[in-house]
Amino acid sequence: MTTGVRVEYQEELERLEASALGGLDMVSAALSRTLEAIEHQDVELAQVVVADDDRIDGRYLEVHQALITLLATQSPVATDLRLISALLHVLKNVERMGDQCVNVCKLIPLTGNEPPADEEMVKMILAMGSQTKALISQAKRAFADRDVELARDLVVQDDAVDVLNRECFRHALQIGDDADRREWAMTMLLAARAIERIGDNAVDIGEQVAFVVTGLFREFEDASHPSA
Amino acid sequence: MPATGAAKPEAETARAETDSQSRLQTPAGAGGGPRPLADGRQAKTIETRDVNLFYGDFQAVAGVTMTVEPNKVTALIGSSGCGKTTFLRSLNRMHELTAGARVEGEIALDGQDVYARGVDPVAVRRLVGMVFQQPNPFPTMSIYDNVAAGLNLNSGRMKKAEKDEVVERSLRGAHLWEEVKDRLDRPGSSLSGGQQQRLCIARAIAVEPEVLLMDEPCSALDPVATLAIEDLIGELKSKYTIAIVTHNMQQASRASDITAFFNLEETGKPGRLVEIGPTEKIFTSPSQQATEDYVSGRFG
Repeated sequence: MTTGVRVEYQEELERLEASALGGLDMVSAALSRTLEAIEHQDVELAQVVVADDDRIDGRYLEVHQALITLLATQSPVATDLRLISALLHVLKNVERMGDQCVNVCKLIPLTGNEPPADEEMVKMILAMGSQTKALISQAKRAFADRDVELARDLVVQDDAVDVLNRECFRHALQIGDDADRREWAMTMLLAARAIERIGDNAVDIGEQVAFVVTGLFREFEDASHPSA
Repeated sequence: MPATGAAKPEAETARAETDSQSRLQTPAGAGGGPRPLADGRQAKTIETRDVNLFYGDFQAVAGVTMTVEPNKVTALIGSSGCGKTTFLRSLNRMHELTAGARVEGEIALDGQDVYARGVDPVAVRRLVGMVFQQPNPFPTMSIYDNVAAGLNLNSGRMKKAEKDEVVERSLRGAHLWEEVKDRLDRPGSSLSGGQQQRLCIARAIAVEPEVLLMDEPCSALDPVATLAIEDLIGELKSKYTIAIVTHNMQQASRASDITAFFNLEETGKPGRLVEIGPTEKIFTSPSQQATEDYVSGRFG
């Protein structure tokens, strides 16, 4: 609850945080539909996800503009400034996650009307998606609760997604010599890669949680210099 | 120690200390006119240790230990009544001008205790100049004489040509020369508020102080004049140690390198230094909740 002075400003900041984090719910819903479209090769549902991405982009633009207005008019500093900076990052991540769902859904018509070439690979991608949805939910909770430990745990949870992604890759390599099956597998690899990136975006949000709380920005994992 | 510059040879260091000491102890007006500004001259450090300031029985400031670093702008911020202006005025012994006021603790200018026995307070104020909230040029004096006023007091007789040179150099240093060079004989009160404040800064630097204290120097100025003064402060720090009291937190964040936050626990209690640190840290991630609440405007 907001008390003291600058009440309207504080309430506006709280509203914008809720709105930005609400973007993660929209992404989670888009990912659910994306996974359903993959599972059932549902081209219409995939088109809905593509069209619905405008709503996620709209949320990005609306909250982004309002945050810029707060920066211009309220001179936020200290925790407020860090929060606004972090929310701008979160928004960008939300927008990118939405785009990854679109990327996957645009691939679905390319997989044809035949049953999936390999049920095992579909299962792996659905498992990746399910784990990634949990990551999105965890990132949101960590941010809302300013829970750095929960945020750091995203790295551990994301490892499971990465493992499944590599498993998909190995599976695709062994899919056989049939040209159609190979093309299907390549398309599914692109989908797996997009979902894996959504998981990375969730970890990025966790890094912003640590920044808001501690004032220090550190990548949880340095992709350029991975530890041995 | 100044943060910049290589270590000086021992002989030179000794000479500088002797010079600083003699400047502190030279009675006002007893010769030793202002030295020409020597490029590379090092600004001075002010160190305070457990400073307590009183007005009669009332303690206004308690236990302030901090360093005002050379060639940096240190902003003192805090709500009204927290003692920041009182503290600033103690740095050049102006606090004691108020009846019943007294100072406890140590205040040293490059290691020299400015409150030590034998130190002339007028000499201290020449080394540690002050710019006030309201521009206060002598209204009937000409622009020229306003700048030269400090020279006349401090230097005794000075040749006209020499004085002309100091006046021009000081007005240039205060970014005012181009605007007033053709009307130096006009009264100081004929200038705009922002120009008057720059005139006061020129008057302050004419006597070549080593430290400049500024008490809300822009609070009576419009935004354009304020930014001009802030730009000037940014340039002056290359030559002087600067401490500025401001209520304008954006000014503190724009114009200072170090920020010190003063606060008082409750009305009637003395003000204390809560936190001092690099300005960017104070305004992005202060370590004290009271500082966070103040800079975020969440106090009250």
